[in-house]
Amino acid sequence: MKRRAFVAASAAAAAGSSLIGIDAFAETLATRRVAPSDELNVGVIGVGSRGKYMMRLFLRIPGVRVTALCDVYEPRFAEGREITGDDTPAYHDYRQMLDSASDLDAVIVASPLSFHGEHMVGSLERGMHVYGEKAMGFTVDDCNAIVRATRESGRRFQTGLQYRYAPWYREAIERIRSGEIGRVTHVYGYWHRNYNWRRPVPDPSLERLINWRLYKEYSGGLLAELGSHQIDIANWIFDEVPTSVIGTGGITFYHDGRETFDNVQAVFSYPSGGTHVFSSIIGNHNVGYQVNVYGTGGSVKLTLEDGAFYYEPARANSAVPQELIERGVHTSATLSTSGDMPYRGPGLPIEIPENEAGNPNFLAAASFVESVRNGTRPFADEQVGWQSAVAVALGNEAIRGKRYVEFADHLESKE
Amino acid sequence: MVGGLVPSPCHASPDSLYHEARPAMGTTVEIYLYAPNSKRAAVLIETAFEEIERVEAALSSYRPTSEISRINATAARGLVVTDPEVFGLIEQALDYSRRTDGAFDITVGALVRAWGFFRDEGHYPSLDQLAEARANVGWQHVALDGAKRSVRFLTPGIELDLGGIGKGFALDRAARILRRHGVTAALLGAGQSSYYAIGAPPDEEGWPITIPDPDDPARALSTVPLRDRSLSTSGNDQKFFELDGKRYSHIIDPRTGEPASGMIRVTVTALTAADSDALATALFVLEPELAADLVEQGDDVAALLITGHEREDHVVAIEWTGSLAPRGR
Repeated sequence: MKRRAFVAASAAAAAGSSLIGIDAFAETLATRRVAPSDELNVGVIGVGSRGKYMMRLFLRIPGVRVTALCDVYEPRFAEGREITGDDTPAYHDYRQMLDSASDLDAVIVASPLSFHGEHMVGSLERGMHVYGEKAMGFTVDDCNAIVRATRESGRRFQTGLQYRYAPWYREAIERIRSGEIGRVTHVYGYWHRNYNWRRPVPDPSLERLINWRLYKEYSGGLLAELGSHQIDIANWIFDEVPTSVIGTGGITFYHDGRETFDNVQAVFSYPSGGTHVFSSIIGNHNVGYQVNVYGTGGSVKLTLEDGAFYYEPARANSAVPQELIERGVHTSATLSTSGDMPYRGPGLPIEIPENEAGNPNFLAAASFVESVRNGTRPFADEQVGWQSAVAVALGNEAIRGKRYVEFADHLESKE
Repeated sequence: MVGGLVPSPCHASPDSLYHEARPAMGTTVEIYLYAPNSKRAAVLIETAFEEIERVEAALSSYRPTSEISRINATAARGLVVTDPEVFGLIEQALDYSRRTDGAFDITVGALVRAWGFFRDEGHYPSLDQLAEARANVGWQHVALDGAKRSVRFLTPGIELDLGGIGKGFALDRAARILRRHGVTAALLGAGQSSYYAIGAPPDEEGWPITIPDPDDPARALSTVPLRDRSLSTSGNDQKFFELDGKRYSHIIDPRTGEPASGMIRVTVTALTAADSDALATALFVLEPELAADLVEQGDDVAALLITGHEREDHVVAIEWTGSLAPRGR
């Protein structure tokens, strides 16, 4: 859809009035839809590794074009154009892109976390639908502003928490919620890697720009970049937002001038008594990524590719055999280990029919485009984004201060 | 196949040679590169492997979440739009099919399965199995629309498998990333069958790649100094199965539906590893005259074909500039 044409049409609709009031303009914008048959023109703010990855996925959706690129680092323009296969217009300033690229319908925001608030709010205010990378905002204020801008603009906002669209997550969580593993009390999540999280830098002056994840000014570190997904999964399972968090962490592996921790541990408490323990370590790969959901009747293990259910052994609580009374019990100082050995079997894998399989990132992108075209609310909407991002921001406060943080002290009114 | 890679202590450049091998693309991928220190090398190697993983995640037909799996699952029912990179590679693969009259064919999967080669074994399929597999093979049944960037299968049962070109393509992409980060000397290899060389080791003409004599692997038949070029090889001297005294290669001739039998080993150099991969597969299957034509038509392509055992005239060098050692025991 061409925005210029739209503006002309709305001006005609407002004939009789010499000025189009901002409110009237916003109202017209709010009802604007992109017809399913229309080309959808997408701009990208932040053409780094994630931005480029998402661009490729959006280009697999019929009728979607990437028509504008924005980055502060010039080499990204050529890299982005290699992906579009086109001489895509590129901008150094997102405002310039939003003002100049008059045919844009939606924007992918994949800039460093500390810029999310400005880029997402700015895009929504200019009438863009936004696919905003996680974590949604850097601070609680950013998160609140993005929610407000989404609601005031009437635009669609989808947060980049793509596991909401992973078929095996949806299947698992539906079954968990239906009570298949009893009452869920704990979620233990790990995201461990063995790699220093650095990207190559062509010149030392570009260190903070390219390795922004390592600096507190721009980044929420591992809790934001990795933890935001698992926090969302715990929120989804408990269907609640945490009320407090206790955290710790440090720089243990890579003493290379970085500021964000290379290992973090956080424990979130939920209002109904649930607990989410999250750990991220980037100096040992052993456990990799896994989310373990523990219920009174069983467990679920979810990974980046699949998942499995496990059931607690049935308890023998029948009458005590007579034989025992007659012979008595024998005392022993030896601990029987068998009851406390970890379960090492395969569990019951979650089966996903072949025609429902898919890459969660692609399914998320396709679902966003569908929401924009049909005017439906994304599953991972601004509320879902807020709930995870606020927990990240407050979790980081706990981790940095190695202390306990009560959410109510920081959230004036829950959005 | 890589020889002579011990860094020379007296060269002028302060860079040292670093190496890492990791499992990827169903084989072992190796990266050798010169870097000023181990930290820089580690970050570069990590970035290159990340790119290989990105490409594999899009192209692997073994992964249900890949783009190729999505195309395979849906392109018989209607148009599937894909991104320019995946579309471009499918287009390139079909172009090789056209140029080789189907000797290279990314739809050959059903035949490979019928012969049991996906499981690294091999058996003679029944005539019914063979007929069914052949009905599900044929690059002409893949319709591309460049304007829409769409793929469509004209008959059900078609499946794309980019194994014959994808490994090389992933190496090309990883090499591009390394170049972008200023690397001027590196060698990337996948499973000793595909290589791409960036520049050359200090004071060397190229990265030395040795092609062993299939009759005596300890002997070098040829050594090529590879520089800003790729090298791929296909052969039945390592992967084959024997039935009733006959040796069958693991490479199917898509035109006949039978394992190819005319070549012992082919080695190709080209400007990109995607090209040399596709050419090596096609040349292994083609008759020698057609093979020579294909090499000569190519842009900066050279090939060394070994068509039989022991004899000198069983080695056919086309545009080949690497050294050639005499054969014989």
